[in-house]
Amino acid sequence: MLAQDIPTLPRGVRLHYDKVRENWVLLAPERAVTLDQIGYAILNEVDGQRSFGQITSALSEKYNAPVDQITEDSSGFLDALRTRRFLDVN
Amino acid sequence: MAWNKPVIREIE
Repeated sequence: MLAQDIPTLPRGVRLHYDKVRENWVLLAPERAVTLDQIGYAILNEVDGQRSFGQITSALSEKYNAPVDQITEDSSGFLDALRTRRFLDVN
Repeated sequence: MAWNKPVIREIE
């Protein structure tokens, strides 16, 4: 994923807190994936308006971690979701 | 909370 890419959740895909599993789940029609806290933190920044570069900068400040590491991890994470059609990029 | 590589688990 490139810095200028704008990730967005496709129609019908949404974040949901699963009280049974006690974690966040990304729901799509007839499919679902569970997320850990970092995965949720990344997707919580995805609003369909901010670029991937803006999102990783915000996460770097929030977690006081190197932006290069956050960019690498977040890119792999979002690309994995994109491959499985849980995420679109504008 | 410290940064870690995020994990996705698919529910099948």
